[in-house]
Amino acid sequence: MHGASRAIDGPYTSPVPILEAHGLTKTYRLGSEKVVGVAGATLALEAGEFAAIAGPSGSGKTTLLNLLGLLDVPDSGTLLFEGRDVSGLPERERARLRREKLGFVFQAQQLVPVLSAEENVALALWIRGLPEDVCASRARAALAAVGLAGLEGRRPDALSGGQRQRVAVARALVGEPLLILADEPTASVDSETATRLLDLFEELHRAHGVAFLFSSHDPRVIERAGRRIRLSDGRIASDERVDAGARVPA
Amino acid sequence: MSRWWRLAARNLLRHRRRTLLTGSIVVVGFVAVTMTAGFVSQTFSSLRVATIRATGGHLRLLDPRAAGKTDDEAAVLLLDDWQGIAAVVKKDPRVVQAMPKLSFFGLVAKGEKSAAYMGTGTIPALEKNASLASDTVVSGAFLSDPDADEVMLGSGLARAIGAKAGELITVMATTPDGALNAVDASVDAVLSYPIKEIDDRLLFLPYGAASKLLKSEGKANTLVVLLRDDADVDAAARDLSRSLAQAGRPVVVKTWLETAAFYKQVKLLYIAIFFFMGLVLSTVVILATANTMTMSVFERTREIGTLLAIGMERGQVRTLFLLEGFLLGVVGSGVGSLVSFLLRLALNASGIMLPPPPGGTRGNVLHVDFIPLAYGTGIAIMSLTLLVAAWWPARRAARLNPVEALGHV
Repeated sequence: MHGASRAIDGPYTSPVPILEAHGLTKTYRLGSEKVVGVAGATLALEAGEFAAIAGPSGSGKTTLLNLLGLLDVPDSGTLLFEGRDVSGLPERERARLRREKLGFVFQAQQLVPVLSAEENVALALWIRGLPEDVCASRARAALAAVGLAGLEGRRPDALSGGQRQRVAVARALVGEPLLILADEPTASVDSETATRLLDLFEELHRAHGVAFLFSSHDPRVIERAGRRIRLSDGRIASDERVDAGARVPA
Repeated sequence: MSRWWRLAARNLLRHRRRTLLTGSIVVVGFVAVTMTAGFVSQTFSSLRVATIRATGGHLRLLDPRAAGKTDDEAAVLLLDDWQGIAAVVKKDPRVVQAMPKLSFFGLVAKGEKSAAYMGTGTIPALEKNASLASDTVVSGAFLSDPDADEVMLGSGLARAIGAKAGELITVMATTPDGALNAVDASVDAVLSYPIKEIDDRLLFLPYGAASKLLKSEGKANTLVVLLRDDADVDAAARDLSRSLAQAGRPVVVKTWLETAAFYKQVKLLYIAIFFFMGLVLSTVVILATANTMTMSVFERTREIGTLLAIGMERGQVRTLFLLEGFLLGVVGSGVGSLVSFLLRLALNASGIMLPPPPGGTRGNVLHVDFIPLAYGTGIAIMSLTLLVAAWWPARRAARLNPVEALGHV
């Protein structure tokens, strides 16, 4: 991986937080009922953090992650991305920020079934309009970084669940994002694979300095996180940073 | 851009059976349009030949006073020196023959029976060579002597007066100065003309006999010119008009198309049918493809959500689906071209006989013309049709909310 603005071996540092949320609120309509997804969420996410949003199902984890990942627009509140207010950005601008600054890993790997592992990873660069050879070489490097060297030509249906999730991680990583958002990344893999996946996240975090923000109710994810943001009924119930010693070692 | 074409192609192959079915509709539509175009082209060609043969030539030379007059008004005007005009005309290498025609009408009688007729005085050998009358003889033999008092009758007219080949009848007509004249003539042949209204009144008399009957020796209503090649009509009309004027024998030259109202009407009708059929086929193709693409968008909703989430522009999502539609159109019409070409070869080799075209007398062996323009236009139109069909599903895909799409089950 080629970090243009940060050292490969150390965490990325920035004078301003990557994300700053002030009073983010999002409600949904479920039939005639109004459901609160997130209510007044205020937090800042620094560069190089390894954080998790925890909480039971329905607590608003995914909604908050979608808001912070610029996938959704808050009803009220402000969201700053590298100090710039992005709350009211048009979709085109939000897409550009997602493309260039963020990476995403979803619960179900969501790979394109007709593309090979390499092409699935390269897809994140295709949409930036980068040349074919650049996309291919960076995709191969990203796959090697997640331990999938040699499997570049395989299509998703020829990979195991864990390997597919690694391809999804490589796709998130290949664009050299500031932050990777992962929604329930261990939910669809077995325990052993989940452990190896978390090891990989930590390794990538250490090696590339990229910040991670997970949403999960999996204790293994939360225990590994250096910062634990707990949600209850859409509100941030607690937000604690954990000493390295208190974290479950890789 | 090749990566997007590659992705579009692979997406089409996801559901091979469904793509094959939709592609088959495109192929069938394309084959139907190109085969119909080839068949219609052949029909136009047959109809053109039949129309030219109905009058015996490509050009009609009329008295200069006929300029600006209706056909009925022009019919009574006579060329004074058709032989002099024919001599000039025959110098043109494009001309096969120049045939005088006298048009007249009156009564024909046998015994106590009589009927009205529409008569044509013509030179038998030239008429036999050029017109479709020679194909319609049902009894007797075509006229041969240019001056004999012999006649050919339409079968309807012969039936009306009870005449048969070999029998004598009386032909009565009015001369240009109003006198009544008559000639006894033997029936050489009975013709079965394909249009009943004409068959009931049709009468041919050799030019010599007709000009004596009408007291119009050396005159003709029209000089019909037969050309070697249909393609020379306009140029020959222009050149003959000029050369005759320079020779001091000005005439009005009318091409076969100018006087072929029936041909124009039939052609218009065929074109209308062709376009209506094309419209129906296009609608079927659009509906079938739109249905396939909509299903595809529905099935790939979560995938589209992922693509939007990782930053793909909505325009890129739309383009991807449009490419899939366009590609299906290009490949479908490409395969359709091949199928159409092979089917055309098979049909042309089959030797199937078709009935005569409207107003014609001879059936033709089925021959579907190869029209490169129809193939080229067909590929372009079919690809555009598929692009149109993919537009709404593509728009729907591009407008998906990524959060909702990611949560789609």
